[in-house]
Amino acid sequence: MPFIRRQWTSREADEWTREDTITVIISPLIYVLLMIGTALSMLGMWYGFVILATGIVLMLVMIWIINPKLSSVSEGYEKKQKGYIEELERSVKWEE
Amino acid sequence: MVHFAFLDWFWLVTFILLMIGSGALFYRLGKRSEADFFLAGRGLPWWLPASSVYATHTATDTPMWVAGVVYKHGLAGLWYGFFAAWCAVSAFVSTKIFRRSLAYSQAEWQTLRYGGMPAELLRGWVAGWQVFLNMFILGWVGIAMGKVCHFLFGWPPWMGLTIFSTLCAVYVLAAGYWGVVMADFQQGIIAFIAIAFVSIWGMYAAGGPHAIVARLHEMGLSHMLNPFSFSGFTGGDFPVAWFITMLVIGILGGLGMATAIDWFPEAQRIQSARTVKDASWCIWAGQALVVTRNALWAAAILGFFVLYPDLTQVKDYEMAWFRLGFETLPVGMIGFFFAAIVAIHLSTISTHLNLGAVYITRDLYHHYINPKADERRLVWVGRVGTVILLVGSFIFGSIMENITEWLIFALWIMAAGVWLPGILQVMWWRFNGWGYLTAWIFNLVFSWLVVWVLPAFGVLPHLKDYQQFWLLMFLGAIVFIPVTLLTKAESMDKLVKFYVMSRPVGWWGPVRREAERRGLL
Repeated sequence: MPFIRRQWTSREADEWTREDTITVIISPLIYVLLMIGTALSMLGMWYGFVILATGIVLMLVMIWIINPKLSSVSEGYEKKQKGYIEELERSVKWEE
Repeated sequence: MVHFAFLDWFWLVTFILLMIGSGALFYRLGKRSEADFFLAGRGLPWWLPASSVYATHTATDTPMWVAGVVYKHGLAGLWYGFFAAWCAVSAFVSTKIFRRSLAYSQAEWQTLRYGGMPAELLRGWVAGWQVFLNMFILGWVGIAMGKVCHFLFGWPPWMGLTIFSTLCAVYVLAAGYWGVVMADFQQGIIAFIAIAFVSIWGMYAAGGPHAIVARLHEMGLSHMLNPFSFSGFTGGDFPVAWFITMLVIGILGGLGMATAIDWFPEAQRIQSARTVKDASWCIWAGQALVVTRNALWAAAILGFFVLYPDLTQVKDYEMAWFRLGFETLPVGMIGFFFAAIVAIHLSTISTHLNLGAVYITRDLYHHYINPKADERRLVWVGRVGTVILLVGSFIFGSIMENITEWLIFALWIMAAGVWLPGILQVMWWRFNGWGYLTAWIFNLVFSWLVVWVLPAFGVLPHLKDYQQFWLLMFLGAIVFIPVTLLTKAESMDKLVKFYVMSRPVGWWGPVRREAERRGLL
């Protein structure tokens, strides 16, 4: 099995896996790099451009890692959504 | 006072017509149902609610606030805006869980996660609190616009407060959230272009990037270019301990719900996204734009700093970005800049008008007063709720000068003592409604004591904000954890239903095993 898995069934995608852990670690780091990189680039500092570019590359990596899993989660969930909405409407009307 | 030429008025009038027009165009969609008026029918692609997240969190007072911290602390001041990091984690954890619950609001979510009386008490409390808080925020942001108009045109502050909020109410009343999100999309684009343009223009007015950096070095203020320049571990006004606290609040807060004040508007955007995936990306991308925008502002504020390094009054330097624009842009572009400020302002006002009305309509009227109401009536109640919020915001805005301290206190109520319970309710199956309700009540008591009463009587020293956070979190935990453990767990039927629908992460072992035993997973 590859280190990063990109083929999921919706049932498998509902479980917390290595891909989720990697994503929640690099995601805030990307925010840091985008923020600091933009500020320093605006001030014309060379390492600002490096930091910003690193942030953008990491963002693309994160999308590559997590997007297939998110797609599978969505696919599985949306099949059941209509029924859940009907339940929610009954609940707001105290019909449950 | 600023003088407007014909071209300036042209920009302003065109932009206002465009914004109101685009919102009003969606009148027919907005009036179809409660789900349309408040969630745009749950069918938006990720980039629309993302633009709304970005536009909403770009308010008239935001550049003042960023200017205040960057002028004082340099680039390290950027961390004040990094609480947005909760979205970086939430997008892949609690956003997914909340989107799967389908709750219109955080108030409705209480009755899906908890059962019985505590759930209903929590729903009523969160709804009432949010109506109040949205009114408060509308007044706060509205009076910031009043100050800008006073600075520009010499108008009394109430004029800027009432004129632009009323213009905004036109399309919110007509099209509800459809109007909000469609107007936010174009307001977001206008705002981002204007922020980038004015910031770069202002920096060149200050001599350009290299001159700004060189000047800071000459002034012996190189530390202002270092984003990690702190005043010591615990000493000074910008210590590492504050930085760590902010990272903990932001990053770990993303695991839970209602752990930040922004969770409440974001909840609406999450539910308006057409899929779970769209919900995740809308939150992530919207806040990524927010932190990037702060960086654009920060660089421009350093430009302002080298032009005016001796300002000591907050009210003088918090207008830095506005001054860069109005004092350096050529005639004809001033109107473009002001139109962008109006866009920034309307995007925030529209969100809070519609969001406050969600709680009035869905959580208070529909659930408690008239559960059998038809869709047409619910849309009208949404409009009445919008008007109530608008009028309330005028009242709050007009007395805001006197109650800023109360606002800060109100924000502590939202943040400190309910931060940990906000995480536990998502990650720990045993945490129950009584525990969460107790956390809210005791947070009110403890924050009152820690922030106001005990320091006033010398029982407790005046603590720094990050110290208050840890103390309030600890005090809350010694009450709500025993309460949780001494009261009954939520019924297994309720928990299994919630688990199967939302698939929370963390300590849910017994619930998961029960769901598997029932053949639901």
